[in-house]
Amino acid sequence: MNATAQNPRVESYLARARAAMRGMPESDAEEVVRELRSYIADLSEQEGYEIDAALRSLGDPVELAKKYRAENQMVHAECSGSPLTVFQGLRHATRGRSGRITASALYIFGYINVFMLWSAALEKFFAPSKVGLWYVPGQIFSLTLVNNTIPPDGGRELMGWWLVPAAVFLGWLIHYITKKTAQWWIRRYRFRYGKGPEIGFCIGGS
Amino acid sequence: MFGCLWSGRLYGLEIMRRLDSDSDLAVSASTLYPLLARLKTEGLLESEWVEEAGRPRKYYRLTSTGRRRAIQMARMWSRFSATLEDLMSPLLKEVAR
Repeated sequence: MNATAQNPRVESYLARARAAMRGMPESDAEEVVRELRSYIADLSEQEGYEIDAALRSLGDPVELAKKYRAENQMVHAECSGSPLTVFQGLRHATRGRSGRITASALYIFGYINVFMLWSAALEKFFAPSKVGLWYVPGQIFSLTLVNNTIPPDGGRELMGWWLVPAAVFLGWLIHYITKKTAQWWIRRYRFRYGKGPEIGFCIGGS
Repeated sequence: MFGCLWSGRLYGLEIMRRLDSDSDLAVSASTLYPLLARLKTEGLLESEWVEEAGRPRKYYRLTSTGRRRAIQMARMWSRFSATLEDLMSPLLKEVAR
């Protein structure tokens, strides 16, 4: 039995780091904890460091975990097809609070549009006469979901059932552009701020 | 980092000690370990767990992509240091006198 095995201070440190790595894939987080445990053991037993000194050399466990988590989420976001994963990565790829809020707001705005378009396509099957792209002379075009004023007086619906494929396609296009723009931003951020060299492939992703 | 791993596999603490002894670069563990994880995720390093004296150690080595990147960076460094040396040469001559 060595000095670090089941040492309460080591276990407490690793537990705090592990908790702060939430959002990372389980296997990645476990690997990090295992490596930190190995480092602490090496430092204390091989080089004669006190346990506390070994832990201090790693710094605050939450801050350390944040570095792993930020990097892990950005790397996965660059290759992921999941909007949530990309969003998590995007939050780390901005400097300062205002940058984070702006990037998040733009990303969410893109997906609100996707949601609206796809909702309209779906709703068309349940209320075909109340969902459409209307033109009323003297007014602007409007894509309208169900409400009590539809169809508008004197209005002419322009697309009919073509609205369904058009809304699905446009929604997909906005989703694609929003996601790709966010991934490009993350890659650029990592390259520019020394968070990693820009390399032209994704690991374990499309 | 790439220079340390060029000739073979090393584990984290060995890399820290090598950087310290061979180049006077003191890199903290809290910087080194996330960096190793990143380089591994990017496919520049690969790792394996090895049991030594009853203790597991995670060894890192350069992948073929990592080796290509290391050569590329060494070329960049060589050009950069040559430019600096040119710039500093009058000063260095003065110091040598």
